[in-house]
Amino acid sequence: MPATDFSTFGRSILSLRRDQQVHSMESGGHEGTSHELELEAFQKQVAERFNDLASADSDQLLSIPWIHKLLEVFLSCQEQFKSVVSKNKGLLNKSPADRYVMEYYERSVKALDVCNAIRDGIELIRQWQKQLEIVYYALDNQRSIGEGQIRRSMKALIDLAIGMIDEKESNSSFAHRNRSFGRNNAQKDNNSLGQFRSLSWSVSRNWSATKQLQAIGQNLVAPKNNEISATNGLATAVFTMSYVLYFVMWTLVAAIPCQDRGLQTHFHVTRQFVWAAPVLTLHDRILEESRKRERKNVCGLLREINKIEMCARHMNELTDTIHFPLSEEKEGEVKQRVQELGIVYYGLKDGLGPLERQVREVFHRIVRSRTEGLDSIG
Amino acid sequence: MAENGEEKLIAVARHIAKTLGHTDTMTDDILQIFSSFDNRFREKLTDDQPLERSLKSLHRQISRHLSAQHPIWSDSADSAAFLDSVDQLLAIIHEWNPMANDKSVSASLDKAEDLLQQAMFRLQDEFTTLMQRASESVDLTRHQNGGDNLGGYYESEEEEEEVDDDDDDDSGEIPIAHPVTDYGILIEALPAGIISDLHEIAKRMVAAGYDKECSHAYSVSRREFLEESLSRLGLQKLSMDQVQKMQWNELEDEIEKWVKAVNVALRILFPSERRLCDRVFFGFNSVSDLSFMEVSRGSTIQLLNFADAVAISSRAPERLFKVLDVYEALRDLMPKFEFMFSDQYCVLLRNEALTIWRRLGEAIRGIFMELENLIRRDPAKTPVPGGGLHPITRYVMNYIRAACRSRITLEQVFKEIIVPSASAVDYREGDDRALSSSSLAVQMAWIMELLESNLETKSKIYKDSALLAVFMMNNERYIVQKVKDSELGLLLGDDWVRKHAAKVKQYHVNYHRSSWSKVSGVLKIDNNAMSSPTGASRSLKEKLKLFNSYFEEICKTQSTWIIFDEQLKEELRISVAGALSPAYRNFIGRLQSNNDSSRHTERHIKFSVEDLEARISELFQGSSGSGGGRK
Repeated sequence: MPATDFSTFGRSILSLRRDQQVHSMESGGHEGTSHELELEAFQKQVAERFNDLASADSDQLLSIPWIHKLLEVFLSCQEQFKSVVSKNKGLLNKSPADRYVMEYYERSVKALDVCNAIRDGIELIRQWQKQLEIVYYALDNQRSIGEGQIRRSMKALIDLAIGMIDEKESNSSFAHRNRSFGRNNAQKDNNSLGQFRSLSWSVSRNWSATKQLQAIGQNLVAPKNNEISATNGLATAVFTMSYVLYFVMWTLVAAIPCQDRGLQTHFHVTRQFVWAAPVLTLHDRILEESRKRERKNVCGLLREINKIEMCARHMNELTDTIHFPLSEEKEGEVKQRVQELGIVYYGLKDGLGPLERQVREVFHRIVRSRTEGLDSIG
Repeated sequence: MAENGEEKLIAVARHIAKTLGHTDTMTDDILQIFSSFDNRFREKLTDDQPLERSLKSLHRQISRHLSAQHPIWSDSADSAAFLDSVDQLLAIIHEWNPMANDKSVSASLDKAEDLLQQAMFRLQDEFTTLMQRASESVDLTRHQNGGDNLGGYYESEEEEEEVDDDDDDDSGEIPIAHPVTDYGILIEALPAGIISDLHEIAKRMVAAGYDKECSHAYSVSRREFLEESLSRLGLQKLSMDQVQKMQWNELEDEIEKWVKAVNVALRILFPSERRLCDRVFFGFNSVSDLSFMEVSRGSTIQLLNFADAVAISSRAPERLFKVLDVYEALRDLMPKFEFMFSDQYCVLLRNEALTIWRRLGEAIRGIFMELENLIRRDPAKTPVPGGGLHPITRYVMNYIRAACRSRITLEQVFKEIIVPSASAVDYREGDDRALSSSSLAVQMAWIMELLESNLETKSKIYKDSALLAVFMMNNERYIVQKVKDSELGLLLGDDWVRKHAAKVKQYHVNYHRSSWSKVSGVLKIDNNAMSSPTGASRSLKEKLKLFNSYFEEICKTQSTWIIFDEQLKEELRISVAGALSPAYRNFIGRLQSNNDSSRHTERHIKFSVEDLEARISELFQGSSGSGGGRK
C-alpha cells in the first residue's frame, strides 16, 4: 500500500469511482436523514443569502458594494456545495449524478471566461475614473477656478463621454477599420475615439457575453422527481449551484461593460425552490433597471456608472453656463459639483481594486473546485 | 540732473511707443526694442508690475507658438523656445503663488494658469504627434522588411532579427521545446532624438500637474504598438472554453506559438517598453511605473490567460510534454516577471503569473495521476499470444523514460507540493543530484508498482503457469532494461534494479518448475524398479514413452512462445538444456546398457541427445512473422 506521501498527490473524489474496487453503498439508515438535512440546509442558506441581497434598496442594488456581496454569496454557496458533494462521494458513482456534476463543471469553465471579460470591464471603468480624477484635480481645492481649469475639465469630460459610448456602437466596425487600413487613420482619430478604442479586450472579437451566458444556462432545468431520487437528492443541490452560477454571471454581465453584452437570457425556475423567489425578484428588478429610459443604451448597469454619467452631465451643464469672471454663486455651484464628483471618484478609486481582486478570487475558486472534481477524469 | 534726464528720456520713449503702436502688442514690441537698447528702459518703461510684465511677454511668446499650424516640434529651435517659455511660466507661477493673497497678484496668477493650461494642451498634442509619427515610421520598417519582424530601431549594428514562425528544429524525437536563444538584439522602440523630445515635454507636463494626461497619451500609443507586435506573433485570443474544446494537435501548435511569443514578449518587447517608459519619464518613477503597467497590462493578461487555459485543460497523458513546455517557459521567465513587474501597479500581475505557474505544476501532477489511473484500469482481457510483451508495458516504460528526460523540471514539479509557499519556491534549476528518495523518485516507483501489479493481474489469465512465468519474465525484463539505461535508473536506484532483476530470475525458476521438472522427473531412475532386468527395461520403456510425449508436447507448445530479449532467450535455452541434457544422456545410456531387448527399446528412442538439444534451441521462436517484443 502506498505510503502516506501519496495522499498529498490529491486523490480526487471522483477518482474513487473507478479506482477502488470496493465502495460501500450503504447510505440508508441514520446517514440518509443527516444527508437530507444537509441538502435542505444548503437550499435554505442559499435562499437566505439571496434574500439578503434582494433586501437592498434601489440605490444599493448593483452598486460596487452590492456586487461585492453578490460575489461573497457565490463563494459561500460554492464552498457549501463542495462540502455537500465531498460528503457524498459514494453517490457520485451512480449515474445520473455523475453526469450532473460534469455538466456543472463544464458550465463553470464558461463562467471563467465571463470572469475574464468582467476583469476587462473593470479596467475600462478605471479608465473613466482617471478622467474624473483629472476633473477633480483641476477643480478641487484650487486657489481659484479659472478658465484654464475649466477648459481642462471640459476636455476630460469629453474624453470621458467618448469612452463611455456603448461598445456596440463604437467598437467592432470602427476598430476594425483602424486595423485594416494601417495606422494612418489613427492620426485623425487619435484625440477622439481612437484613444479609448485602443483598450482592446483580452477576448477575441467573436466572443460574446450573451452567447456565453446562454451556454451557461443551456439545459438548466430542474431535475425531475425520478432523477432526484436516483441521486439521493444530489441532483437538486447541483441544480441549485448551477443556477446560482448562472445568475451571478448574468448579473455581472448586466452590471459591468463587456463585449456583446446582452440581457436577453431567460430565467426559468419554479417557485418550488425556496431560493427561487429572491433570485427571480432580483432578476426582475435588474431587468426593470435596464429598461429605464436613461439606462437603455448604457454600457453597464453598475450604479457607479450611472453616478459617473450624472455628475459628468451636471458638470457639463454647469460649464456650459459659465462666464468669466465667476460670480460667487457660480463658484459655489462649481464647488458643490466638484464635491459630488469627488465622492464618485473616491468611490471608484476605493472600490474598483478590491472588486477586481474579488472577481479574480471567484475565478480561482471555480478553477480549484473544478480541478478537484475532475482530476482523475481528465 | 541725470535723473531728470533719464526720466525725460523714458517719457519720450513711452510717448513714441504709444503713438506708433497701433495695438497693445505693437506698443509692447516697440518698448521691447527700446528696452533691449538700454537697461534703464527695461524696468521703467511700462506701468506694469514686474509680474505682469513678465507674463505679458510670456503670453506673447507662447501665443505665437500656440497659433502655429504646424507642429512646434518640427523645428528644434521652435520647440526649445517654447519649452523655455513654459519653464519661465512655471517658475513665475511657483515664485508668485505664496503671494496670492494680493489681489493683483492673484489676478495675474489666474492669467498665468490659463496660459499654462493652453500650453499644456498644446504640449499634449505635440507629445501625441511625436509618438505617433515615430511609431508610424517603425511600421514602415516592418512593412519593408516583411514577415514577422518586430520593427523598431536597433541599438546594435547587427542585422534585424527575423522572428520566424516555422520551427526549423523538427527532429523525429519526442518534441522538446527548443529555447529561442538569440535575444542579443535590443530593440530601441523609438529613435533617441524623439525619446529626448518626449522626455522634455513630459518633464514640463508633470511639473505642471498634467502627469495624468501625459501618461495617458503615452500609454495609449505604446499599448497599441505592443498589442500589434504581439498579434504579429500569430497568437489568437482564445477563451478558456475554446481551449478546452480544441483538438489536441491544434492546441499543440498554439502552445508552440505561445512559447515563442511569451519569450519574445518578456525578453524583448516588455524590457524595451520598460526602458522607454523609464527614459521618457525619467525622474518620475511613479508616472513611469503607472505608464508601463497601462502599456503592458493587456498583453500580459492575454499571455497568462492562455497558460491558465492550458493548466486547467485535459489531463490526458499525451499532453505531458507540451504542458511541460508551458511550465518551463513560465519558470524560466519568472525572474523577468519579478524584475519588471515588481512595482505597486504591476505586483498583482506578477502574483497572477505565479499562481498560473503553480497551476501548471498541478496539471503536470494531474497528468501523472491520470497515467496511474490508465494503468490501473487497463483490463486483463485478451492474453498476449506467446506470453510476449504487453503493449501497456511498452507504452508506460517509453513514456516514463521520455518524461524523465525532463527530470529536473519534474523534480521541481513534485517537490512543490511539499513546499508550496511563495518564499520557498526556487526558480533556479533543481538539484542535479538524483535522490532516490525525492518526490519524483517516489512517484516513479509507485508507477512501476502499479504497472507490475497490473501485469500480475493480467498474467493470471494464462492457465499455463509456465506461460505465466514467461509472460512475467518478458515484461519484467523489459522494465528492467528500460530502467537501467536511462535517467529512470538514477531515480529508482541500484537497489531497485537489483531487486527487479532478481524477480526475473525468480520467474525463470518458476518457469522451470512449472514445465520442465515434470519432464526431468520422468528421467529419474527408480532403483527399486531396476532390481530385475525385465522390470527395469519395462520401466525404462514406459519412462521413455512418457518422456517423449511430454517433451514433444512442450516443444510444440513452447516453440510458439516468445522471449523478446535475445540474451534472455539464450539463457533460458541453455538452462533448459543444462537441466535436461545430462539427465537424458544418462537415461539413454542406462537404457542402452539394459540389454534385454535393446532393439525393441531402441525403437522408442526418438531423440538423440543432439536432437534433444536441437529441439530445445527451437524454443521461444514465437509464431511465424510475429517477432514478439522489440528490444
